[in-house]
Parts: sequence; structure tokens; C-alpha cells
Amino acid sequence: MAATTERDASSIRVRHAGKTYGTGERATTALADVDLTVPRGRFVSVIGPSGCGKSTLLRLVAGLEEPDSGDVSIFGATAGEASAAKSIGFVPQVPALLPWLSVLDNVRVLDKVNRRAGRRRREAAGPAVAGCELAGDPVQLLTRLGLGDALDQRPGQLSGGMKQRTAIARAFALQPDVLLMDEPFSALDEFTREAVQLQLLDVWHETRTTVLFVTHSVTEAVLLSDTVVVMAARPGRIAAVLDIGLDRPRRHGHLDSDAMHACEHAVRAELEQAWVDVLPQEAR
Amino acid sequence: MSGGPGRGLRGTAGALHPRWWLPTVVALAAAAVVWTLVARANPYVLPALGAVGDQLSTQPGFYLRNAAATLREALLGLLAGSVAAFALAVGISESGLLRRAVLPLVVVLNVTPVVAIAPALVVAFGFGILPKVLVTALITFFPVLMNTATGLRSVAPPVLQVFRTVHASRLDVLWRLRVPSALPYVFSSLRVVFPLSVVGAIVAEFSAAGSTQGLGTVISVASSNSQLDRVFAAIACLALMGSALLLVVALLERRVLSWHESQARPS
Repeated sequence: MAATTERDASSIRVRHAGKTYGTGERATTALADVDLTVPRGRFVSVIGPSGCGKSTLLRLVAGLEEPDSGDVSIFGATAGEASAAKSIGFVPQVPALLPWLSVLDNVRVLDKVNRRAGRRRREAAGPAVAGCELAGDPVQLLTRLGLGDALDQRPGQLSGGMKQRTAIARAFALQPDVLLMDEPFSALDEFTREAVQLQLLDVWHETRTTVLFVTHSVTEAVLLSDTVVVMAARPGRIAAVLDIGLDRPRRHGHLDSDAMHACEHAVRAELEQAWVDVLPQEAR
Repeated sequence: MSGGPGRGLRGTAGALHPRWWLPTVVALAAAAVVWTLVARANPYVLPALGAVGDQLSTQPGFYLRNAAATLREALLGLLAGSVAAFALAVGISESGLLRRAVLPLVVVLNVTPVVAIAPALVVAFGFGILPKVLVTALITFFPVLMNTATGLRSVAPPVLQVFRTVHASRLDVLWRLRVPSALPYVFSSLRVVFPLSVVGAIVAEFSAAGSTQGLGTVISVASSNSQLDRVFAAIACLALMGSALLLVVALLERRVLSWHESQARPS
């Protein structure tokens, strides 16, 4: 697969990735020739209308699907190698917790699978890196995410927001090289969503894990990210890449600032443009 | 009734409240009255309840011994059938080849009435415990197999994806996801097959005319001698046995599946 050069090791790269579902007349091109680079330590959001292939892109990086063309490299490794090395943390749209385990055990459960890779990662990590302490301690991590009182509860007893925070803690606890999040807050109500977003930022600020975050909310993308990738549909492709220069740490006050509104406006303009581009194709 | 009958009736204090036990007691009393009236009119069809009670109280050892024999057959068959079914369910959930090979056979076995197979097994294996255990195992096998196979496939795709992104082995997925997810399905089949196991044991005893013990043997001997009180005393033992087995499953289920929504107390 992809040649492993030193430059590759500093970022996640998707090169000329294409993915088509179905064959013949029914074929839909989910992704066409997508190029994306996510440097280590960045929080990158992917936003776009439904069917623009943003989830497909995430699944390619997660190694859950293979691209038909092009390749994916995660800090120099293929997606398959990265997942074998336990360096990918995945947060799906629904919390996907195990209902028979407590919150704490749900966060710990991935420690018990693929143990060999886990051991190798711990050895390779050597002396504790900044943020490792937090991510390495599930209790501390859950407490930080506001679940300190719910450690022994079962998922059935939790609210939607608490479940999703547990799923986020599970992914952070892996201490992965990259965290892939597929619209994790889309099922939450507005108030819960804002609270969880800020808790996510709080933990991320300490761990500085590389994040690829798929969302359909402009506000969410701007609030969380260093970079927003705008995608367009039919075929799924990248329409624009915008850097968000807002100061960190971002807190509640930022939600209403003019700078934030300006960024949102810029993202919306790109989204509209991407939408307009599709229309002539549909008329054909 | 506002708030539903369950409200405020939890725990032992609730079970002591007349609203809790009165309907059951009234229904049982009504059934006893009807029974007595019918028995009085048809003494050669139905024995009086008192006569049945006399049977049980004067020869408790006899009924206990025969009940123990039947229970042993039922439980051994249950164990053999469920374990074999569970193992095969794991096999067919992991291997499509095995599924295609084995499933048609299993279905044919299932649609064949066990009552028809029982005499053949008695011919093959004699009057000992083996044919009875086999019949019970056969009757238990299919429900457990089908439910477990469905349960093993019931893991939600996002959960599987999370496990795939950390390269979980098949064994890990089986042991940490599939088996626990299958437990509610396994228990709903156990609810069916626990009482059914008694049916299997009785059918086998009926088929083995030379059997010397077991409640089924007691029934077939007593009914050919027109000892109705004895027949119904044995039937009462079977009913009790079935209820006790059901209770065991329910208690076990409450323990093991405390996390599952089926165990949530009605509110």
C-alpha cells in the first residue's frame, strides 16, 4: 500500500479516494477523488449535506470499508494496520454501549480485546505524555466528563447525553492516535449537545488527540474545530477547507462572539456554494 | 383503579395485601367448586379432590420417588439438549458452511413429532434412563437452538464496528458481544423448554411399557387399572414440578438479566 515516508508519519492522509456503492445503473458514487490531510494534533470537522459521503470518508479512515481507488494512510500505516495496533478510537452515531456492563466497565472493555496491541502501545508510549494521565485513568476521565456519580450504573439507567459521553470516554481511554467521531451528538437535544461539546473540548484540550469529526451542524463544526472541511454531494467530494482561527480554550462565551459568527458565516457560504454546484448536474 | 395495580404493592408487604392474593385465591376456589360438582356427577371420570389429596398424603414416599425419577430424566435431557443446542448455535453463527449443512437436518428433526420417535428410541436403547433423556433432549433442542442462533446475531452493527476498529478477534466478539447479547434469547427459550422437558420425560415413559418408575409410568399403570385418584395425584405432582421449574428459570433470569429491559419492574 502507501509508501511509508517520514512525512506521512506526521499526518493522516487520504489520497484520491473513491468509493462507489452498487453496480450498473444503480451505482452511486459516494466519494470521488477525495484528498484530505489531517496533521497530528488537529481537530478537523467534516461537514456537508446528507449523502455527501462524509460518513463514508470516516469509515474509510476507520478501516471499516476499503476504498475502490486511492489510499488512506494513518501516520504512515494503513487503516488496517492502525486498527490492528489499536491506534483508532471510534465513536459511532449511537453510543453502542454494552447494556450488561456498568459505565466504568464499558469504558474498560476495549482493554480486554486485542491485548497484545494494547501492551505494545503502552511500552511504546514510555514515560507519560501530557494528557496521558487523564486518558489512561477511566475513573478520572469519566469524572471529567461529568459521569463521576454514574460509574456503577448500567447504560439503561442513563440519559442520551450520558450514554454518548460514556462512548466518548471509551474512545479516549484507548489513548488512540486518532479519534474518529461520526455525528456523535446528532441525537441529543440542544442544551445537552452544548454541554457535551464543551466537555469534549475540555478533555481534548488536555489530550490533544488528532480528531476527525463528522457533523451536520455548522455551529458545532466551528465551535470544536481547528479546520472545517466542507463536502459537496453527487458525487461526494471536498468543496472547501476552512481554517478556524478562534482562540482556545473555547468556552460558553465564545458561542456568541462576532468572530465565531463570522466563521459560521464563511462555512455556510461554502456549503451553499457546494449545494448550488450540484443543481446543474441534477438538471441534466 | 388509578396508578395501576402494581403501584405501592412492591416487596413482601405488597404480597400480603388482599388486592395481591385475593384474585388468585378466588379463582382457585371457584375451580375447586366446579371440579367437585363435576366429580360428584361423574365419579368414573373425575375423582373427588379429597381422594386425590388422600393419595398424596398417605403415600408421599411413593410419589416423591417417582417424581424424582421423572425429574432426573427431565433435567438430564434438558441439560444435554440445551448444551448441544447452544454449542451448535455458536457453530452455525460462526460458519455459514455449517449452517447450510446442518440446518435442514435440524428442521426435519423438529417437524417430526417426538411422540413418534420415542418408541423407536425405546426399541433401540431399552427401558433404562437413556431413551427418556434422549427424548427430552430432542424436545428441548430446537427451541434453544433457534433462539440462541437469533440472539448471537442480535449485536447492533455500531457495536461491532467499535470492536472492529480495535481489531477484536472473533473469539472476543463471540465471548464479549455475541454470547451476552444472546442471553435474553436463551432465557426466553428456557422458559419454554424447562416445562417442556417434563413433557419429554412423560412421553418417553409412556412409550416404554416396561418402565418401573416415573410419574408417566404411574399414570399409565393406574389408568389401565381405573385408579383415577392415583392418576390425578401423579398429574398434580407433574403440575407442581412444571411450576417449580418455571420458577427456577424466572429467578435465574432475574439474576442473570438484571440489565435487560425485560426485567424492568412494571410501573
